Amino acid sequence: MTDTPAAPTDPFAPDALNAREGLDPVDPAFVHVLRVTTALTLLPLAVAATLVDILVMPRIGGPFGLLSVAAWLIAITMIVSFPARRVTRWGFKIGEGQLRVARGWLFRTDTIVPFVRVQHIDVGQGPVERLFGLSHLVVHTSGTHNSMVTLPGLHADLAAAMRETIRRHIQTDFA
Amino acid sequence: MSDAAALPATDAAEPHWQRLHPATLALSIVQLGPRTLNFVPALAAIGIAGKWAYVAPALLLFLLVSLVFAWLHWLRFRFAVGVDEIVIESGVLSRQHRTIPFDRIQDVGIEQGLVARALGIAKVGLETGAGSGKENDATLDAIGLDAAEALRATIRAHRSIPVAVAASDAPAPAEDRLLFAMGPRRLLIAGLFNFSLAALAIVGAAMQFFDGLLPFDFNVFNPVDWIDLAERYGLDSWLLAHRWVAGLGAAISLLFIGFASGIATMAFANWNFRLMREPRALRRTRGLTTRTDVAVPVKRVQAAILVTGCLRQRFGWHELRLQSLATDGEKEKDHQIVPFGTLDDIDPVLAEVAIERPAPGGPWSHSHRIIALGGLVGAACAAIGGSLAVFFGQPIGWIAVVAAGLIAAFALIGTRFHQWTDTGDMVAIRSGFWKPRTTLLPHASVQSIDLKTDFILRPLGLATLVFGVPGGSALGAHEIPAIPLGTAKDLRARILGAGART
Repeated sequence: MTDTPAAPTDPFAPDALNAREGLDPVDPAFVHVLRVTTALTLLPLAVAATLVDILVMPRIGGPFGLLSVAAWLIAITMIVSFPARRVTRWGFKIGEGQLRVARGWLFRTDTIVPFVRVQHIDVGQGPVERLFGLSHLVVHTSGTHNSMVTLPGLHADLAAAMRETIRRHIQTDFA
Repeated sequence: MSDAAALPATDAAEPHWQRLHPATLALSIVQLGPRTLNFVPALAAIGIAGKWAYVAPALLLFLLVSLVFAWLHWLRFRFAVGVDEIVIESGVLSRQHRTIPFDRIQDVGIEQGLVARALGIAKVGLETGAGSGKENDATLDAIGLDAAEALRATIRAHRSIPVAVAASDAPAPAEDRLLFAMGPRRLLIAGLFNFSLAALAIVGAAMQFFDGLLPFDFNVFNPVDWIDLAERYGLDSWLLAHRWVAGLGAAISLLFIGFASGIATMAFANWNFRLMREPRALRRTRGLTTRTDVAVPVKRVQAAILVTGCLRQRFGWHELRLQSLATDGEKEKDHQIVPFGTLDDIDPVLAEVAIERPAPGGPWSHSHRIIALGGLVGAACAAIGGSLAVFFGQPIGWIAVVAAGLIAAFALIGTRFHQWTDTGDMVAIRSGFWKPRTTLLPHASVQSIDLKTDFILRPLGLATLVFGVPGGSALGAHEIPAIPLGTAKDLRARILGAGART
């Protein structure tokens, strides 16, 4: 349980964050999942902004074109460049009887859940995740804060393996 | 990990997958009826648009789509009861695979509606004690009644072994003991400290509302009324020279109402307060008009919270609340166990739940002053807004400016009261200046720990620890804000180490 075989090592600098904190990176394919989901939420917004621009702006005499250009620029930036950075901010470590999940940079949260505290475990897969062969692991604890700890971007097999690991711990240490 | 990776393949072949009862589909048809109501506005819109011919096809299409979805849902929902766990797979588009060990199932609820009873099926709810919310519930909706009862029996049989052991090795105290009681005298003192102008707002609003309806035309809050009263007795000339009397009258009545309402609320809530130690629980009875009787199982107590006030602390009065796993769907999340008592009253109660107050002279560490930042930013916003208002000729802006000063002062003073200490098997967290509170959190109650940093704390080398504790508290999450990163990591390792041992 020292190292995950599925975890690829990225030689680029962003991963230094995870390496420094002793965390494993999530699957690189998670970038695509994030990209697609971001696109699915932002593109309709951008289209709506364009429509407003075309239909409303001429009537009220506003600056024509500004809104659509801004909307598309923001949307494309968010879709193209942000997901790659967001993925490097996710990290996890499974071992020593506990699951560690870290996320975010501006507001970084590093959560540890001991296996003995886990109430039940979900492995979920959304349609986009299925496209890229990924799953997410959800660990439920009885705490009111952090009652669900979600770790996305895991290879489906790894997620299942982690579930088995945690499950075996729950059975052996009855807390 | 590498050996675990091979496991799911072997395990997945094993389980005996079951579907929900086919009658569930019939049930979903019944449930379609009420859901069609949501569709009525759309139908009406079509009808109003003059296309009556489309109403029936639209309705049919809707029913058909709903049925297909219900069928797909049924098709994709399966569960397997293993030796010591239950696995549920669900979801049409996004798939979910949930594993619930029997060890973690607290309660199995079997629920039957009218139609379900006619069909001989039942909805099984598995309660795991995972935090509240729909996402945390696991339900089998629905399976045959006999299958549901068999499942419950299986889970109970599995659970009964460890429970029996636990019950036998804990020798329970033989008889009930009175731990704490509140007499009228204590209630009176408590009520005095319970001075509240909240009731004043209500009375004031009522006075405004019933102004014309009252038999007497007198508003105690209105100094003019006091002057009127004085006039009637020919005191007006004297009063004009001594206006302060009117002000004094208003002030005295304010004080009186504040104290009276404080005493009244305290007396109504806590009349004949009794806290008993029963074999397995602390039992609290209180109340004048509505008497409540609450039992808090000792083993379920997760944390203790000592609340006091700026002033009442000087006189040595405190309030004790216990946070426990919420049971029986009670309204209050934490239990007020000692509403008003000295530390000498509280210590024996704490001893009953195996929590000890840290020694007063112990080493307390402070949080970093940076936590005042939020308050200061708020104050700055208020000050800027107020100044702008004054600048544009709205004298009311001064209120915001003064409030900003107060907010800033409170934030700055409050930071000095954020302290914590670790006594080896318990963390104590102190916070608050106006309402100081001390949280006593045994390491064993901590379910998860968040170590949070952000763009402000990180450059300072600080982190905030947030603890996941079962059973909510009305006073928010338990956290130690802004402590050095190294210390935070240390503390986290120590607390989780204790958790893993138990």
